[in-house]
Amino acid sequence: MVKEIPAPNAALPFKSIRKFLSALAISFAVTTAMTHSASAQTFSRTFAVAPETSELEVVNQAGTIKVTGGGHAARIVVNARQNDNTAKVDATQNAQGKVKIEVTGQGAVDFEITVPASSNVDLLCYKGAITVANLGGAVRARVTDGNIQITGLRSARVEAHSTKGNVSFSGEVLPSGSYTLKSFSGRVDATLPANADFRLSAASFRGGMDLGGFQMKFDRQTHQLVEASHGAGRASISLWTQEGSIHLHRKP
Amino acid sequence: MECHAVINSLSDYLDGQNVWISDDEAKQIETHLTNCPTCQNFKLELNEIKIAARELPLHTPPRAMWTRIANQIEAEIAAENGPLRHAQNASGWWGWLRSRRFTFSLPQLAGGAAVAVALIVAAISGIFGPHSGTLNLSGVQTALLPEEDEIKADLERRLNAVNARKAQWDAQRRAEFEQHMTRIDESLKRCRYMLGDNPKDAIQQQMVRALYTEKRQLLEDVERLRW
Repeated sequence: MVKEIPAPNAALPFKSIRKFLSALAISFAVTTAMTHSASAQTFSRTFAVAPETSELEVVNQAGTIKVTGGGHAARIVVNARQNDNTAKVDATQNAQGKVKIEVTGQGAVDFEITVPASSNVDLLCYKGAITVANLGGAVRARVTDGNIQITGLRSARVEAHSTKGNVSFSGEVLPSGSYTLKSFSGRVDATLPANADFRLSAASFRGGMDLGGFQMKFDRQTHQLVEASHGAGRASISLWTQEGSIHLHRKP
Repeated sequence: MECHAVINSLSDYLDGQNVWISDDEAKQIETHLTNCPTCQNFKLELNEIKIAARELPLHTPPRAMWTRIANQIEAEIAAENGPLRHAQNASGWWGWLRSRRFTFSLPQLAGGAAVAVALIVAAISGIFGPHSGTLNLSGVQTALLPEEDEIKADLERRLNAVNARKAQWDAQRRAEFEQHMTRIDESLKRCRYMLGDNPKDAIQQQMVRALYTEKRQLLEDVERLRW
């Protein structure tokens, strides 16, 4: 006589494993979130400024600087976040209303700053990235190791310069404007209106150049250097890269 | 590691880091180069000479010439073979050395000559003298731009200011800075070399100026940062 042996409940151990793994995942997520919130430091300051003379300077060691124009007409709002507590952020405003943010120490700090659209900004980051959007004032951006991205600009003076990173600009070209985009080892991109009037000086030692179909009058053209004008040639555009390439794009 | 030891080993180091010298010695040289701008410059000079030597055209002699030379050598060896063995036993390593046949390629000869010239220049500059602790090779290069001496003086002043502060930086930051400087210096030397061939070349002049500006900008940035 054969005794019927009940089949073991096959689903049971898998259910337990699933429960265990779920619990493990939840506890890991909670622990990570707690650790993260415990170590992340945030910083927030608001400065009242005169819109027509608003000026901002940021000196950052490492991390990102993102500056956007057009938030509030008479305020500079600074939000910063650092993931460790090794850097110190100083924010001051001088008698002329200029706001200066300076980071000391070795840690990385990420900034998100809104300024009046007409503000002049001077940004320096040793290692990280700089993003500037929707500004009408003068822009000076400098990164040693990282990218610079400038979009939606209506500014008469732009200087963007990275030693080891890409530099890209997209915006209007004002008749009396001066635009300098440089990178030692990265790529330089400039997106300009198709009907822009500018005089171009572009030099790339190694990487080559793509002039984006702009019909230009050439004063000098070699495989390393182009000097030419487009339209009435009123604005001055200077592009340089030693090891990267140069690309012009036409904005429709 | 002292400057003179690094200079003595630099050629071997550049030829192939751990073929001619030990890993330990290579590491010591790298550490020294990170902290010594003058040796770093010397390394760049040497590297530049090696690169230039590699780019020299190779001249292939006619086959008949090689045959004549080979026959002559064989004849001389055959004539001297007996006495030579005797001389080798008599005069030890010098005899052995004389009996060897060494062959060098053109780049090797050029590299060797370059090292010899560099060492003579260094010796004349008094770098091995008892009262001199640093290398000074600035006099070796002649100005290719009218304003070049002024630019160099400005850069040296800035570099000294930065070097005085470098002790406060962490090792990674220091190494990154040195890498940036080295890359710019290498490009600068390459462009200067090309400008040296044709000093009136306006495009090369512009390239050299742009690189000096790049170097100044990097130093200015570092001066602006408060570590």
